[in-house]
Amino acid sequence: MAESAERTESESPAPEHESELVRRARKGDLQAYDDLVKRYQERIYATIYHMTSNHEDANDLAQESFIKAFSALKSFKGGSTFYTWLYRIAVNKTINFLKQRKNRTHMSLNDIDFNAEHDTDLIALISEKTPRRDAGLNELQKKLNEALLKLSEPHRLVVVLHDVQGQSHEEIAEIMDCNIGTVRSRLFYARQQMQAELADYLK
Amino acid sequence: MNENENNFDSLRRLLAFKNRETPPPGYFNNFSAQVVARIRAGESRGSASAAEQLLAEAPWLVKLLQIFDAKPAFAGAFAFALCMVLVFGIVFAERPDYSAPQPLLTQVSESSAPLSPVSPTAGLAQTPGQIMLASDSTNPVTSLQPVASLFGQQNPFAQQVSFSLPGN
Repeated sequence: MAESAERTESESPAPEHESELVRRARKGDLQAYDDLVKRYQERIYATIYHMTSNHEDANDLAQESFIKAFSALKSFKGGSTFYTWLYRIAVNKTINFLKQRKNRTHMSLNDIDFNAEHDTDLIALISEKTPRRDAGLNELQKKLNEALLKLSEPHRLVVVLHDVQGQSHEEIAEIMDCNIGTVRSRLFYARQQMQAELADYLK
Repeated sequence: MNENENNFDSLRRLLAFKNRETPPPGYFNNFSAQVVARIRAGESRGSASAAEQLLAEAPWLVKLLQIFDAKPAFAGAFAFALCMVLVFGIVFAERPDYSAPQPLLTQVSESSAPLSPVSPTAGLAQTPGQIMLASDSTNPVTSLQPVASLFGQQNPFAQQVSFSLPGN
């Protein structure tokens, strides 16, 4: 999904085009909003999925985030990009959901992309640990998600946005409405925690 | 920071594996259509419900509900306080107010003051026998029926008032 994120970044049309879609959507043009949803659905879904480790929850929250964004479009002043504003809605919704769900964690993980089995880096990581590659991948997936779920929501969010989705510190600071120093320190702490949890898989 | 990045290089490569987790094939084909359908359904329902509108217009209510949600003891205390206010309100509403004048009697006493030999306030000090004598007049002003009280007591302000016109 990082590839898709990079792809979407590079393929994203000129800002004028997006602002035109937003302008039309604010007037109630659902076709324009449909285009906006298609543009960001994968990234929004992925962020929520990595935060919740649950496909069904991610599906519901992603849809609700887009619905809420549409109903709140009139309050969008254009101070930030539509993408950042949308991300904030999705992130706040997800964090509120996770606070309510506390201690009732149920993982519903997506399947692993077939190409992962041919990823030499990944194979090198797990081959020494487990004799069977399939079992190794599934086990790694489970361990990774468990380690992420052990982080607090703000720390998990920083790791997901930076290390999984490849966003910059500045973008994350804007999304989380905090300064870059906070993002860096949270990232450092979260990585330390993750490293300790996944020590068996790290050389 | 570069040193830190290098320290976490293996972890970052491991975390990149998360991107290999993908939703079921074709999942995103209908995603936007589902979102738009839900928006349309919401609009046809008349946008937000009354409760949602109320919450949107009263952010303090949202905060109050969040406090109740976080600390149920607050909700209990708030409900108890509301009940107490209601009970006190009922009790004080049913208690007769002795200090308040009766408008009808006041009006009658003012109009009859120059004519009547018996003033309404004097009637309070009279014995029942005296009241009966006074009621012999042919011009009763108020009903002779006793006024019922909620507490089974005769209302001291509901007295018979009568007077005689000069020449009768």
